[in-house]
Amino acid sequence: MRVVSKREEAPGVRTLKLEFLKEEDHEFFKANYRTGMFGLYGIFGEGESTFCVASPETRKEYIECTFRQSGRVTSTLANADAGDIVTFRGPYGNRFPIEEFEGKNLLFIAGGIALPPTRSVIWSCLDQREKFGKVTIVYGARTVADLVYKNELDEWKQRDDVNLVLTVDPGGETPDWQDHVGFVPTILEQAAPSPDNTIAVLCGPPIMIKFTLTALEKLGFSPGNVYTTLENRMKCGVGKCGRCNVGSVYICKEGPVFTAAEVQAMPQQDL
Amino acid sequence: MTRILLHDRLDDCLAAWRSSGFRVLAPTRRDDLTRFDEVRSAAEMALDIIMPERTIKDHFFLQTEPMIRYRIKKQEIDTEEMLPPEQKRLFFGVRPCDASGLAIDDQLFGWDYKDAYWFQRRENSVIVTIACTKADDFCMCTSVQLSPDSTKGSDVMLHPLKDGRGWQVVTLTDRGKSLVDGIASILQEGTAETAPTASVPVKFDVDKVASWLADPASFESHLWKEVSQRCIGCGSCTFLCPTCHCFDIQDEGDTYSGIRRKNWDSCSFAMFTMHTSGHNPRNTQSTRWRQRIMHKFNYYRGKFDVNSCSGCGRCTRQCPVDMGITETLQVISNLPR
Amino acid sequence: MGIQEQYRIEAAELLSSGAVKLVIGYGQGSTPDRRRPVFIRSAEESKQLLLDSYCVANLSGYLVPEGLLSDGKSVGVFLKPDGIRSVNILTAEAQVNPDQVVIFGFDIENGNTKPLSGRKAIDFAPLIESMKSTGLSPELQHEADRLEQMSASERFEYWKAQFAKCIKCYACRQVCPMCYCRRCIVDVNQPQWVNTSSHTLGNFEWNIVRAFHLAGRCVACGGCDRACPVNIPLRLINHRMSKEALDAFDHFAGESADQKPVLATFRQDDPETFIL
Repeated sequence: MRVVSKREEAPGVRTLKLEFLKEEDHEFFKANYRTGMFGLYGIFGEGESTFCVASPETRKEYIECTFRQSGRVTSTLANADAGDIVTFRGPYGNRFPIEEFEGKNLLFIAGGIALPPTRSVIWSCLDQREKFGKVTIVYGARTVADLVYKNELDEWKQRDDVNLVLTVDPGGETPDWQDHVGFVPTILEQAAPSPDNTIAVLCGPPIMIKFTLTALEKLGFSPGNVYTTLENRMKCGVGKCGRCNVGSVYICKEGPVFTAAEVQAMPQQDL
Repeated sequence: MTRILLHDRLDDCLAAWRSSGFRVLAPTRRDDLTRFDEVRSAAEMALDIIMPERTIKDHFFLQTEPMIRYRIKKQEIDTEEMLPPEQKRLFFGVRPCDASGLAIDDQLFGWDYKDAYWFQRRENSVIVTIACTKADDFCMCTSVQLSPDSTKGSDVMLHPLKDGRGWQVVTLTDRGKSLVDGIASILQEGTAETAPTASVPVKFDVDKVASWLADPASFESHLWKEVSQRCIGCGSCTFLCPTCHCFDIQDEGDTYSGIRRKNWDSCSFAMFTMHTSGHNPRNTQSTRWRQRIMHKFNYYRGKFDVNSCSGCGRCTRQCPVDMGITETLQVISNLPR
Repeated sequence: MGIQEQYRIEAAELLSSGAVKLVIGYGQGSTPDRRRPVFIRSAEESKQLLLDSYCVANLSGYLVPEGLLSDGKSVGVFLKPDGIRSVNILTAEAQVNPDQVVIFGFDIENGNTKPLSGRKAIDFAPLIESMKSTGLSPELQHEADRLEQMSASERFEYWKAQFAKCIKCYACRQVCPMCYCRRCIVDVNQPQWVNTSSHTLGNFEWNIVRAFHLAGRCVACGGCDRACPVNIPLRLINHRMSKEALDAFDHFAGESADQKPVLATFRQDDPETFIL
């Protein structure tokens, strides 16, 4: 695929917008992509790296991916400029069953670099806003600078059909910070969204998921109504290389989208 | 009709097979190692050994397999898929355990996405097994619901004759039938008494093991640490296993061209599940050992209805510190209920 | 009383008194002639300890894994002279504290085991000194000479055929007490210094890089050679490197606990035969 544009979201975090080079690849993607699926993005000579597709299923003209520069492949991708060629393999995995969310209220919770997969679902729903009930987004990062999709956060803030609750960790606020200060689970409990007829979509690092799940259960959410995504080291993405399983579950084939109930049934030591 | 192949006609068979386009591979001893390699005469074959040190898997799932060649130009990238050559191959003298490994791995390599590299080689190969008349202390085929004369994964099975003159030929598949029909003039019609197959005592109850493994409480048992204390985390057992199939993908080349390859990898290696963030879900040898056993006798079994183990015993036979699957499964099998 | 019985009693005493928290020794393997590493934590378990001519593995590698010695407690370990040299090298390279290592020293001569007197590595200093003068691994001399007598291209063909068998299982690395790097050079991918593929180049790179990293550090315990599942005669390569280190720099690996690494130090009288 060709890089159309890139955007620096936060220190070390980039978004790349990619366009297809061949029409048949684009058709395949349009026919198969649903929100929640992931791909392997790569550069020949360096390797491949796994990220979600951060763009929603309602906008399939291009692919957006957001990643933190942390290793060999991500460092090279981070330096890619408009016009450069990168590779994409996918879309793989399962998806968020958003048609089952229709008519319900939606609660999106994300932390730091985990906003991208959530953002894909958020836009997939906001692009069909009339199908869903109340939409609440609770998002936090370590510091103000670490918040990603800053321009879209502003957009969501402006909308009156979205309730955006933004927070940064204690100590991460800037002098002109207007929103909340506190860890996501704490702020979530304060916001106290109702569990009635609500689906929660929760993405974040394992430790945040653990505490947020506890907070959600305290608020009356059942683990069957909470959706999350799992990550693991991947190489093939298609169930062959034997690397990404948590217990008997292959993240690349049976995930990455799971309900919290399914995650709780997995051997926790293998996460 | 039953047929016999005499030892002293084997060279004629080889000649016939080679002239019909087969490369013939058999167990052979070269450079201080026994493995499957191309042979041109029966004299080169090492058929008297228990089993070759390396498995037949090496010829279907290569240690290092080129997948794609890429050439990076100004505004585009040329890629060329590097599929294996369409070369007919005949594997002669395969042990039933090694042959069953191929059939077991067919399940994984055909799961949803068909692995073209594996199946191209499988479809162009004929497997001729020889039933085992001897075994050693490490063999455990009977413990994993296989046997010294198992036909799983085989196209033609040869049963050694009691008088030692040759083998009884049993055709098992269509592919095997065309092979045998092709050498019908070299074979003798008739039957003869076959030698008794090796006696391989059952060492553990694999069904009991599977149900213990499937119990969620077993995942956190202290047994894992106890049985794996001496494991040093090398890849010997996984690489010599007829069914292990984990791999890594590596790009080798420079800025302008190179090859993307598939290389063997092992869940025993410390870096296998290491995330870039530094988090490693399996950062101790005991968790890695648990993954190995769980994968072979619980997860694979659950998905494909077959243990990911052919009972060859190479894991224990070759382990530098005398580990291997047998002992762990015996410990589990002997747990009080 | 034989050495096996004597050491079992000593191990039991040290464990019950709390002088050591663990004894690493040899136990019965899965066939009569196999011995495996065992980890004894109580006087009762010390009955599992065996000591005979089948006990050849160098167990010092088990001292290094993170955390074993970090509680300051002592660990007992059965070692032959090669293993004692390993402890010296590990001490010189700041990987173990020799005061925490209680050695059950033994050697194998003509099929019999004999005890070596001493408790800490320093006690065996005279023995290690005398080893230096007997020459490197006399049992390898015949094969080493055979290789030396080959021409360079014959030798290259020999090693090419041997390395072609390599499957990159890293058993040689994992079993070696001297290979303790948390991230081995083959696991570094920025840049990928050593190819992980097992084609000719990848195999040559790996085996030769490892031989260089062991130059002046290999104690010729033979662990790598025995561990290699495809029978590559790794001892011969490391033997050659040890010979170079001895001839050129009078360096005998593991001679003492404060020995400086041969490739990282220089003396003014180092030979400079490469300078014309």
